[in-house]
Amino acid sequence: MAQTRRFELAISPHVGSPQTTRKIMFDVVIALLPALAAATWFFGPGALLLVALSTATAVGVEYICLKFMKRPVSFAFDGSAVVTGILLAYNVPPGVPWWLPVLGSAFAIAVGKQAFGGLGHNIVNPALLGRAFLMASFPILMTAGWAAPESWRTGEDCGWDTNAIVQEELAILPGADAISGATPLNVLKQTFDLDESSRTALAEGETEVAAELEARAVSTRSALSSSGTYANLFLGRRGGCIGETSVLLLLIGAVYLFARGVLEPRLPLSYLGAVAVFAWIFGGSGWFDGDPLFHVLAGGVVLGGFFMVSDMVTTPVTPKGRIIFGIGAGLITMIIRRWGGYPEGCSYSILLMNLVTPLIDRFTKPKVFGEVKSNG
Amino acid sequence: MSLAKDLSNGIYRENPVFKLALGMCPFLAVTTSVENALGMGAAATFVLVCSNFLVSLFRNLIPSKVRIPCYIVIIATFVTLVDMVMNAYLPDLHKSLGIFIPLIVVNCIILGRAEGFANRNPVLSSLADGIGMGAGFTLAMVILASFRELLGNGTWLNMSVLGQSYSSQPLLIAILSPGAFILLAFILGFFNVLENRKGGGR
Repeated sequence: MAQTRRFELAISPHVGSPQTTRKIMFDVVIALLPALAAATWFFGPGALLLVALSTATAVGVEYICLKFMKRPVSFAFDGSAVVTGILLAYNVPPGVPWWLPVLGSAFAIAVGKQAFGGLGHNIVNPALLGRAFLMASFPILMTAGWAAPESWRTGEDCGWDTNAIVQEELAILPGADAISGATPLNVLKQTFDLDESSRTALAEGETEVAAELEARAVSTRSALSSSGTYANLFLGRRGGCIGETSVLLLLIGAVYLFARGVLEPRLPLSYLGAVAVFAWIFGGSGWFDGDPLFHVLAGGVVLGGFFMVSDMVTTPVTPKGRIIFGIGAGLITMIIRRWGGYPEGCSYSILLMNLVTPLIDRFTKPKVFGEVKSNG
Repeated sequence: MSLAKDLSNGIYRENPVFKLALGMCPFLAVTTSVENALGMGAAATFVLVCSNFLVSLFRNLIPSKVRIPCYIVIIATFVTLVDMVMNAYLPDLHKSLGIFIPLIVVNCIILGRAEGFANRNPVLSSLADGIGMGAGFTLAMVILASFRELLGNGTWLNMSVLGQSYSSQPLLIAILSPGAFILLAFILGFFNVLENRKGGGR
């Protein structure tokens, strides 16, 4: 078979594309790097180390899995494992022990990806599956490892108890100009709890306590919706997962991906749009008084929207389906934020929508030209 | 078929969980600890042996039109017995197994063996089959429960194995329901690989 053939006979597709998996993944890695710079700036070299460890584990485990299953090991170096490793580390708090992202990354690749048949066959986003695995396994570590931004340089102690930090924060917030410690969404969730206790107090007839609790919730919420908070959230001066802090730098990465034609705008825009609309409808204490800007800037929706909702493997291929996917994920995110057990619902919303992707694709299959609707 | 073959059939060759994929509901639900798995296995084995015995004994008397209700009555009798005895003498185990004791009535291994084996085989073979299937079910549950308890709690049969430092920060997911599904998938995969190595699959 070594001799060259005069006529190439090949099965479809006959139209080639200059894009290869390796090129796309390389672009995604470049787009993720600005956020890594932000993470290092705000959370110190420890965060950088976590990302490096997670990435190295992802590639290593992918190599071992491919070797074990006797498949070409070159797949391990196509860059998709690198992206998974980085995204997984971006989804953990900066204060976690080093073995946590290593374990999550190994699970993401071995169970989330290779067990299903490798790149292109995984039904859910492996990095988010790894995060869900860590959340289920180590709920305390995954919700208590928040570090105050820049505290590694100023030398303040950053190992606190989450509950204590939120209480303290609520006490100081109205006068504070920077949110530190627990994530802004934690604080928001706490105001909903205050609403709840205020209602309970009112039902028990303690009107003074109720009024005080309500006043604290309202003042905290207005502090969260101030322009100072917006600026901090936009630049990244806030507690949060490693990769989700700086909206500005994530946007720079996203713009790069748009320019390179890797990112398809329907998914992220419909997702972020849906988050904003549903935040306005029920993201506040009542109806139609939520703060869309806060909800889009806080938490992981920008990271999720541009780098995880837009995952090519686990999202619908039809244009209409992509918009449905984005709106569905946005709705679930806001439902979890408002009424769920966790302050942030971005990752679970994407995982849930990943699972219905095949149904969306089937539902939105475009009509083939010339096809006639059958009368049955 | 010889008695020995009937007896060994359920343990590996036709293991109700790993080969026939029956009885998944109690299998996934109560395997959070080895103790629970042993208790559930013993209860199910008792019911299985007794119901196999009675069904086989009456197989020529029961009209085939009403055989399923008859099986259910027989099985429910023994399940009620187990339920009451366990409640009286092993209240802790009874509490932790909870609803899954009464649910043995609808365990598809027991109904399946009554319909598929005891209904058409002599009494002694049916007894042997019941013991074998029960042992296979118990063995399967102990295997999964060992993984789950070891990973999710650092212990085996309530004895500390992996030490205090692991037990304080265990892999909680193994005890939770997703862990059961993930580990089950790996165990089934392992048996499939074993089967393929042995004879190219069946």
